[in-house]
Amino acid sequence: MFRFVMKRLLMLIPVLIGVSLIVFTLMQLTPGDPAQIMLGPQASQEDIENMREQMGLNEPIYVQYFKFLFGIVTLDFGRSIQDGQAVITKIFEHLPATLKLTFAAMVVAIAIGVPVGIISATRQYSFFDHTSTIGALVGFSMPNYWLSLMLIIIFAVNLNWLPVSGYGGMVFLILPAIALGTQTAAVIMRMTRSSMLEVLRSDYIRTARAKGLTERAVIYVHALKNALIPIITVVGLQVGVLLEGAILTEAVFSWPGIGRFMVDAIRAKDFPVVQGSVLFIAFLFVMVNLLVDVLYAYIDPRIKAQYK
Amino acid sequence: MKEVLIEVKDLSVQYTSEGKEIKAVNNISFQVNKGETLGIVGETGAGKTTTALAIMRLIQTPPGKIRNGSVQFDGKDLLQEKESVLRKVRGNKISMIFQDPMTSLNPVYTVGDQIAEVIWLHEKVSKTEARKKAGSILELVGIPAERGSEYPHEFSGGMKQRVGIAIALACNPQLLIADEPTTALDVTIQAQVLRLMTNLKEKLNTSMILITHDLGVVSEVCDKVAIMYAGEIVEYGTLEEIFRNPSHPYTQGLFNSIPNMNKKVRRLTPIVGLMPDPTEIPSGCSFHPRCPKAMKECKSMKPGNIQLNGEHKVSCHLFDETVVRGRVETNEPSTP
Repeated sequence: MFRFVMKRLLMLIPVLIGVSLIVFTLMQLTPGDPAQIMLGPQASQEDIENMREQMGLNEPIYVQYFKFLFGIVTLDFGRSIQDGQAVITKIFEHLPATLKLTFAAMVVAIAIGVPVGIISATRQYSFFDHTSTIGALVGFSMPNYWLSLMLIIIFAVNLNWLPVSGYGGMVFLILPAIALGTQTAAVIMRMTRSSMLEVLRSDYIRTARAKGLTERAVIYVHALKNALIPIITVVGLQVGVLLEGAILTEAVFSWPGIGRFMVDAIRAKDFPVVQGSVLFIAFLFVMVNLLVDVLYAYIDPRIKAQYK
Repeated sequence: MKEVLIEVKDLSVQYTSEGKEIKAVNNISFQVNKGETLGIVGETGAGKTTTALAIMRLIQTPPGKIRNGSVQFDGKDLLQEKESVLRKVRGNKISMIFQDPMTSLNPVYTVGDQIAEVIWLHEKVSKTEARKKAGSILELVGIPAERGSEYPHEFSGGMKQRVGIAIALACNPQLLIADEPTTALDVTIQAQVLRLMTNLKEKLNTSMILITHDLGVVSEVCDKVAIMYAGEIVEYGTLEEIFRNPSHPYTQGLFNSIPNMNKKVRRLTPIVGLMPDPTEIPSGCSFHPRCPKAMKECKSMKPGNIQLNGEHKVSCHLFDETVVRGRVETNEPSTP
């Protein structure tokens, strides 16, 4: 198991190099000169040229890339063009809010998706099953910025139950978490349903029933643990979707997370910030999926045997 | 006269698939006495497994449905009782061994826990005691108790079936239903598992219903035999009656398709044709399209259950005196 985790951590290196290459290239391809943006429209050509020299923008692209790469190794993501602060401190400043939102959205998604999926599977083709299928379809089809606005109109503006936007205690978290978690809830629900349906048809479930177990024990003890593998796979992948969705949700709810911070950075062509943030998010995503793979081993002993 | 343990009467089970009704089991009746083994023999799709599952009321509804009948056991009709009563019977008084040991054990729990679960469920013992007892049952089926902490994937097929037997026998059931327990195993392992089952059955004085398509297995283990065809029992009798004097043309066909060591034959004689589609069971005797001795009556009239001698019963017009006498009087040839 230890060896498996180590191997996977080593695999992180090529993944992050790949990500850094893509982000770096994309930033190079976007129009606009960071030095000019920084100095403003009134700056003279000479000042801009000096600034470019100072920022290392006149060096060959590959040199710039390797500098960036070596910086990463020493956890130095450079400094923000906008205010000269170290990127890493800015990331750590904004990350907790995003993690809080993503985590809350995932809790919402799992709390709705898994139980509804299980009930749908155990009552296949019932009224409940059809209703939840339609619900999942609707939930999945709503763009989350639109849902965010609808939630604000209904619960904040009309009913006045919750704050419109902002950052603070739990009350501020409810609407953005629901807005962000809805699509994921739909995905998890459908996956839980199909995974449970497959498991419930298997022979060992019949064995469990033949033992005289209650239907509850059959479903929650014998079936659910087997059905979990595809469910947690989806949960791991959805972390990426949530981090991505957080960008829009944070913008709508003025949530001071890394998403909004990145949008601002992209507009200002603050490339060290964008590169650093993207890399960091990629790192988080890979780590979450490594955690998922480790969880597999705890759920299914056959997978654990393969990890040796 | 031996005491009757379980009596199945007029049991019918149907499945619904894509709007069509599949008559899997049609009005079958049989009984098993205490300590005896009944063999239910038939081709794939004859309704053997459905019969077994119906006794424990484990038919998935939908698509399946028990249409009518009764299963008298322990002074109760299992088909009428509440689910909570049935749960106390399943795994405790009646238990089942399944066909495919590879898929019948839960892959994510240790075999020890899977055996202990059924003990803990039915006997008033603590979890540690249940686990201890599970260990001794594992020893009983010839697996070292320490291996109880291993998972099903760490066992071979034959070992897994032993675990299945251990689960089934953990609570000393009065009736053991074994649904083709050896079909998925190698021939050498088959013999071992079969011997283990019969030994334990005798030791624990359990009655057994053995479902199989293997007449060789039947001859070794069973006291009574029921031959099933298209959801009906076409012949029933003691082992000796059936093996000495197979009467139904289908039973005869089954015996003719077994190679005989003492006779040199170039080809075996199979039963012509295939089992009928259960959505369209032929009129009259359901075996008539394949029967070499079919008469005109077989197409239109359902044969009744005719008592031969002893316990031997057959449902075939050939043994129905009114049909046969009618033929002699009108001088009809006996083949259509």
